[in-house]
Amino acid sequence: MIVDSHTHVEDFPGSTWSDPPETIVRLIDEAQIDLAVIMTYRDAAGDDEYVIEHIAEAMHRYPDRLIGYARMNPRGGDKALDLFQRAITDYGMKGLKLHPVSYLLHPASPQTVAMIELAGELGVPTLFHCGDEDFTFPLQIAEVAALVPKAPIILGHMGGYFHVKDAIRVAKRHPNLILETSAMPYPAMVKQAVDELGAERILFASDGPGCDPSIEVEKIRRAGLTPEQEDLLFVGNFKRLVGIDRPATEETPQ
Amino acid sequence: MIDVHAHLGDGLFGLSLTVDDLLASMAANGIEHTIVSPLKPITYQFGPANDALAAAVSAHPQQLSGLGRVDPWQGADAVQEAVRCLDDLGLAGLFLHPDEEHFPANDEIVFPLMEILRDRQRPLMLAGGYRGTSHPSQIGDLARQFPDVTIVATHGGQLNISGMLLLDAMRMFQAHPNVLFETSGVYREDFIEDVVTELGVERVLFGSNAPYMDQGFETLRVSLAHCSDDQKRQIGRENAVRVFQLPVLP
Repeated sequence: MIVDSHTHVEDFPGSTWSDPPETIVRLIDEAQIDLAVIMTYRDAAGDDEYVIEHIAEAMHRYPDRLIGYARMNPRGGDKALDLFQRAITDYGMKGLKLHPVSYLLHPASPQTVAMIELAGELGVPTLFHCGDEDFTFPLQIAEVAALVPKAPIILGHMGGYFHVKDAIRVAKRHPNLILETSAMPYPAMVKQAVDELGAERILFASDGPGCDPSIEVEKIRRAGLTPEQEDLLFVGNFKRLVGIDRPATEETPQ
Repeated sequence: MIDVHAHLGDGLFGLSLTVDDLLASMAANGIEHTIVSPLKPITYQFGPANDALAAAVSAHPQQLSGLGRVDPWQGADAVQEAVRCLDDLGLAGLFLHPDEEHFPANDEIVFPLMEILRDRQRPLMLAGGYRGTSHPSQIGDLARQFPDVTIVATHGGQLNISGMLLLDAMRMFQAHPNVLFETSGVYREDFIEDVVTELGVERVLFGSNAPYMDQGFETLRVSLAHCSDDQKRQIGRENAVRVFQLPVLP
């Protein structure tokens, strides 16, 4: 079984990137991936519930394939916190997605800390975009990891093109940090992260449909991991961190 | 396949690649020919690195072609070295890395090198997508001033894992038909497919950026692309033969 822990669905009229749920379902079929976590490209900024409803609709259309995360803008304050809480409790979403480039707040800003604390209280992880731009560096996200040590925080893209070593460094210091492999182009760095942090700290993801899930699966397979380590990246860690409602009936395709 | 973008030597930034290791990687990954340029040497001296590269190409002409690398900040010396690479060493073009040599891709210091390439109808490979030095808009500004020089922009002209440069890169490729698209490390494989669809498959070339990136893994961006087999052949081989004027390979 394989779970892809970071993909996108968004097909609002006029969206820059239009990726209906059919696209990611087709691509995870090609890649023999069982489940994908979906999120929008845009943030739910305040009480704009349609962003949440959009993901919920896709989840309901493909209940056996898609899991939802709520992508939020912490600037929305109490309204955003309320909406996020309902995304988890009412809409059945399983995580929080934050992309500071889109809302321009430091990862350790008070508004962001409040939202991650709430995610922790609700028992769901926070997935940060973590790459090469201001407000997304591993060292910046590490500041919030220190402030909310009980909340699991996933470093999506594990530092991008130029900050992968920093992602590994900060994950050593903060046990609540987990690295996520999507789009990062170096198979050898997946192996290095596993060797330095342990396979239980690394999650597989593709950032599909833009990034091809088949290629991203192959990146893990070429990283030189043991079958047990691969299984943790592909499914075991997600099961432990998020849980899977659907019974796992199939073995990981080899 | 032909890989248009790999580097040889002992690099300043902690990586190295020997000829033997590259040839072994090529054999393991179904790559018949690779176009190489020097890693930035620990000595900072490109002259000896270009000599070593040319020697490797001469020793393995079926497997390797070469691009000379210079630092435009070295002014007249860079111009002289570029001429030597093309005229004396017989290399197929030039490689410039604005980020590693710290110059803006559209700066006037690059212009004499572009004139050399224009006069000889040889291509430039430009390390593309680096913040502050080879942003797509900077590549486009250089291309605008030298429309007769073919520029192969590595990484599809954008290295941004947010996708924030995708629009800039697409606009740049649309505006400047003399800029071609190299595939290594490209963020979003559907961007490769979009460029093929919207701008034409003849604009896209497979490259790996080895040893910075993994030559075998990078081949997947072509072999698993949602393109026809004919398009994959053009990206993976035929465009490289045309652009770099490679000898007919067996």
